[in-house]
Amino acid sequence: MVEALLPSYHLRQSSHDTLADAITKGSTFAPQVDAEGFCRLQPLSAGDLPGQALSSFVPLKKMFLPPREKLWSFQSGQFSELEQPEPFAVVGVPLCDLQALWYLDQVFAEDLPYQKRRARSLVVAMPCEPTPDCRCDPQLMPVAGDLFLEQKCAWALSPAGDSLLRSCGAGGAEDQPLPWPTASPERRPQLTEEQLRSSADAAIWAEAAQSCLACGACSVVCPTCYCFDLLDETATDGSVTRGRLWDNCFFAEHAKVAGGHDFRPGRANRLHFRMEHKFFGFGALQGQNSCVGCGRCRRVCPVDIDFDQIAAKLGGEELS
Amino acid sequence: MTDALLPVAAVLHEIVPMVTDNHLFSFLPEQPMALAPGQFVEITLTGIGSFPVSSCAQVRNGLITSCIRRAGRVTEALYHLEEGDVVGLRGPFGMGFQLELFRDQDALLIAGGLGMAPLRALLHALLDDPHRTGRIIVLYGSRQPEMLLFRDELVKLSLEQQIELRFSVDFAEELPSLDGRVVCKIGLVNELLAGLTFAPRKTVAAVCGPPALYHCILEELALIGIPPAKIFATLERRMRCSVGECCHCVVAGRYICKDGPVFSLEQLRNMTEAI
Repeated sequence: MVEALLPSYHLRQSSHDTLADAITKGSTFAPQVDAEGFCRLQPLSAGDLPGQALSSFVPLKKMFLPPREKLWSFQSGQFSELEQPEPFAVVGVPLCDLQALWYLDQVFAEDLPYQKRRARSLVVAMPCEPTPDCRCDPQLMPVAGDLFLEQKCAWALSPAGDSLLRSCGAGGAEDQPLPWPTASPERRPQLTEEQLRSSADAAIWAEAAQSCLACGACSVVCPTCYCFDLLDETATDGSVTRGRLWDNCFFAEHAKVAGGHDFRPGRANRLHFRMEHKFFGFGALQGQNSCVGCGRCRRVCPVDIDFDQIAAKLGGEELS
Repeated sequence: MTDALLPVAAVLHEIVPMVTDNHLFSFLPEQPMALAPGQFVEITLTGIGSFPVSSCAQVRNGLITSCIRRAGRVTEALYHLEEGDVVGLRGPFGMGFQLELFRDQDALLIAGGLGMAPLRALLHALLDDPHRTGRIIVLYGSRQPEMLLFRDELVKLSLEQQIELRFSVDFAEELPSLDGRVVCKIGLVNELLAGLTFAPRKTVAAVCGPPALYHCILEELALIGIPPAKIFATLERRMRCSVGECCHCVVAGRYICKDGPVFSLEQLRNMTEAI
């Protein structure tokens, strides 16, 4: 992939302020560290833009694919869609999360509830401070979202972002590459699809399965994991709503069919499945590596399973 | 963009008991729904849940008919509904059988258990095709003679020489009398292939049954000489969204709900753990 050049604008202080007001005029969220030290996407007070991006514990996906959402309701014999989502903005997300957003945009291209939220949102990325866990790769895939915002410069990532910048008096547009942090894509493991497929019975999976708690935390915090299940809830007035809630390929019911047959029995099998999904994609995205290198899964795993290390071992190399 | 996750209301039109815990249910959706053999719909029982099911008949007068086994929580609830109750339907989903491939070929339909249901929809489509020539051979295995689905209908078609029919049962105290013209053996359905004379190079096979059936029979058909691109199986997986998003049904990177559920052996050979 050749790095895309995107229109970048100079921002005078006045246009930066106007822009900040425009972005935060409605409901706005940003990653913020709470009293317990967790970084969460929380509502932001108006006009008060963060200076840089933070990696939230649960990533941007939750704004578009909420952990629990209502898909439809059923009352008096009729199924009806639920109301329009409220418009909102998310600011201060890192660029790797914008790659993940691009990936989810492809997965949910035909998904009306997802697309309604996307159409009513404004996503603003900012420069980040890479951590030792970070392995982002600008070449991995394109970014989605609307703006990349620095103190004196802004990049338009979408037509909506572009017109917002122009309306705020930003000037001097020229096409420039996005200023990705200096990451280390060379530290990403080299693994071929064939190596992974032929490894289904390798001892490495059984070893990882011995310590894996099947807690599913890696999928929860992964910006490109999107499994879901559907669940009905009945209210006391008899109306029913169908919920969509995050599911997890580590859970025992994930591949079980009526009658009890399980097509992915055991944790070794599920670890392999997750790795296949993460590194080689499903459906129309088959072949696309969706690990954006954010490092969340490594940080959250209670037993220190590192998918990059498994990939490196399968690929015949050793990560430092 | 339409909301593929939003069902349309459908009236439970008729319940026809067949064999124990395998009843025929027909539904009349508010908006007409086309459903080709091998494709499936999702049936929603509001407040309970939903499940995917293929049809066992051609759509007639807007009615979608499925043979549904009482097998889990939601199908159990379906057995407590009455005619006139409202359910939700989504679909049609997936890629069904390619009927044009069967046109100038002999058709070999092999079913195990409830697998007869989707193959019956295919059988009806083949019988209804005025341009089609060639034999239709139906091999159908079940646990017991009493569990054979659509038995009377299949026997009638056999007696009318519209199809060539052989049954197998795993065990039986007494083999049913089938008018002396229909073969019923004790054994597995793949044993019915023995002694069957047909031209493998001009045959298209369709197989539907439990996972154990696929383990043995698909490669056996290829060994006999049917080209792998003309041996089809329909896969059962846990399908929740049915539109290639939720990840439950994925095998070898492919969404069974969207790319399948019907696959050729040629495709399945490249899909690790599909069968």
